[in-house]
Amino acid sequence: MTGAALTPTVAAMWLFGSFFLLMILRVPVAFALGLACLPVLFIEPRLSPMVVFNTTFKAYNSFILLAVPFFLLTANLMNVGGITDRLVHLSRTMVGNFPGALAQINVLLSVFFAGISGSSTADAASQGKIFIEAQVKEGYDLSFSIAITAVSAVLAVIIPPSILMVVWGGVLQVSIGALYLAGVIPGLLLGLAQMATVHAYAKIRHYPTYPRASLREFGQATLVAIPALMTPFIIVGGILLGWFTATESAAAAVIYAAVLSIFVYRQLNRHQLWEALLETGRLSAVALFCVGTASVFGWLLAYFQIPKALLENVTSWGLGLIGVGFFVAFVFLVVGCFLDAIPAIIIVGTTLQPLVASVGMHPVSFAIIGIVALAFGLVTPPYGMCLMVSCAIAKVRLRYALKDTMIMLVPMLLVLASLIIWPEIPLLLPSLIRPDFLK
Amino acid sequence: MRKFIDGYYRVLNVLLASSVGILVLPVTIQMISRLTGLIPAWIWTEELARFLFIWMVMLGAMVGVRDATHFEVDVWPVLKFRANAMLNIVSMVFVLVFALVFVWYGIKFVQFGWNQSSELADLPMTYIFIAWPLTGFTWLLFGFERLMRDIRRVVNGPLPGEDQPPTRDLGKGSLI
Repeated sequence: MTGAALTPTVAAMWLFGSFFLLMILRVPVAFALGLACLPVLFIEPRLSPMVVFNTTFKAYNSFILLAVPFFLLTANLMNVGGITDRLVHLSRTMVGNFPGALAQINVLLSVFFAGISGSSTADAASQGKIFIEAQVKEGYDLSFSIAITAVSAVLAVIIPPSILMVVWGGVLQVSIGALYLAGVIPGLLLGLAQMATVHAYAKIRHYPTYPRASLREFGQATLVAIPALMTPFIIVGGILLGWFTATESAAAAVIYAAVLSIFVYRQLNRHQLWEALLETGRLSAVALFCVGTASVFGWLLAYFQIPKALLENVTSWGLGLIGVGFFVAFVFLVVGCFLDAIPAIIIVGTTLQPLVASVGMHPVSFAIIGIVALAFGLVTPPYGMCLMVSCAIAKVRLRYALKDTMIMLVPMLLVLASLIIWPEIPLLLPSLIRPDFLK
Repeated sequence: MRKFIDGYYRVLNVLLASSVGILVLPVTIQMISRLTGLIPAWIWTEELARFLFIWMVMLGAMVGVRDATHFEVDVWPVLKFRANAMLNIVSMVFVLVFALVFVWYGIKFVQFGWNQSSELADLPMTYIFIAWPLTGFTWLLFGFERLMRDIRRVVNGPLPGEDQPPTRDLGKGSLI
């Protein structure tokens, strides 16, 4: 016993009850999480609202989380630096001759972008503007165009660098280098699954194609794009070689992007630099603020031993490694529909951790299952940010593109299932390159 | 009052953007000193970076209340103009309650840190803890501004130059 005055059940009812009520009243999630903690902090004699301050301070006083604004700044600098056009051109020389060429380019560009930005909504917003209108002009269905833009954008949080992996690594104390390596193959598999889906659609609906690009054109496009494509290698490579910590690698990427945009591509002026800084601050701070209040919520769950009470039932089912894997994926898929991914990691990730450890699942494979499932939550209603952004750009309601999105999710769910059944898939790269990261 | 809030908001934005830019420096210094040995390995760079980061988060959280970029989940169907403004008022009242908690207990938090100084750079912790009550004050300011506007919307209907209820700028509140 903790000696707490409230039983786990009563405390859980207060915490979750007030959180959901506030969320329905459209109180911002960060505030709803913080406010939901107040009743128990007042009721429980040993606690006081000072917990909110100590815990948020501890959450923000983290060198690891510093990587978050740096990644966003890198992406912003690259964006204004004219990187996107060069990458579109490169993608076109690679997959332009496939059926459904423009949609294939859309997916491939997301893969490239994923290696640079680590932010899915940024990807959905910038690609939505480029592709949705262009695809419709070439005769693609609008709902298909919206859906493929949205589902391909989720790759950004799975292929390194990834903001979700930084948060997961920081909160659950897993090596971020290992998570980066582990994300590569699942990310590429998901990209392939999406390209196969596009291929099937294109065959059935006779979507157009472009003439094959010559090897020379491909070579030229690669040459121009190489400096931008180096970014993930600097970030991941620097960590693997032991040069940088995760945070330092992100800072190195910022400097690299700034040098590239100012001196190599020469498309960044002082005003744009300022805008990039401000936009980075605004976006990252709002999300990071939520890390603090979610941590308070998570701290209280742990204080009242609520995870143990919640999982008592599940433990009695006697699930094996694969069973727990599917359970974890299911929980994150459901939670991802309603909650932003960062608070979901802090609250649900820490809740599930003991269960996962009890069946001997590797922390890295737990992280990958969780992150991939949460990434799918970015395109599932009612709270799929990427789908919402794509629909907003096309000026249609979310329901409009739902059917095609769900069809595209099926092969992606199969990839997730295979990651659960064969945990070796995500663990392959880290075990080959840096086995010491896996401990 | 409007002018004061506008000016204050602009100052916060300048501080926010600067904090992001300056944040790169201590981390870079740390890297250079370790990789090249050209400059001594100052121990305070890591702490300075963390403290600047705390300020960045809090500044962004302040600005976010005026920009309405704090992430919210909308489970309602499309609401009529007045109903929407009314729901805004309800949720803003809760935000203001949280702001009051930040002010009231934040001041205690600062008092608690009065005699503490940081481990590495020996900075007074007050410089950091003061961010919490300041955030609370700022939320009250920006929150009341938005609250008044929504009250006027309920009473008088759309404000001048506003034919549609303001829709949220999607994607602005999330970086994932």
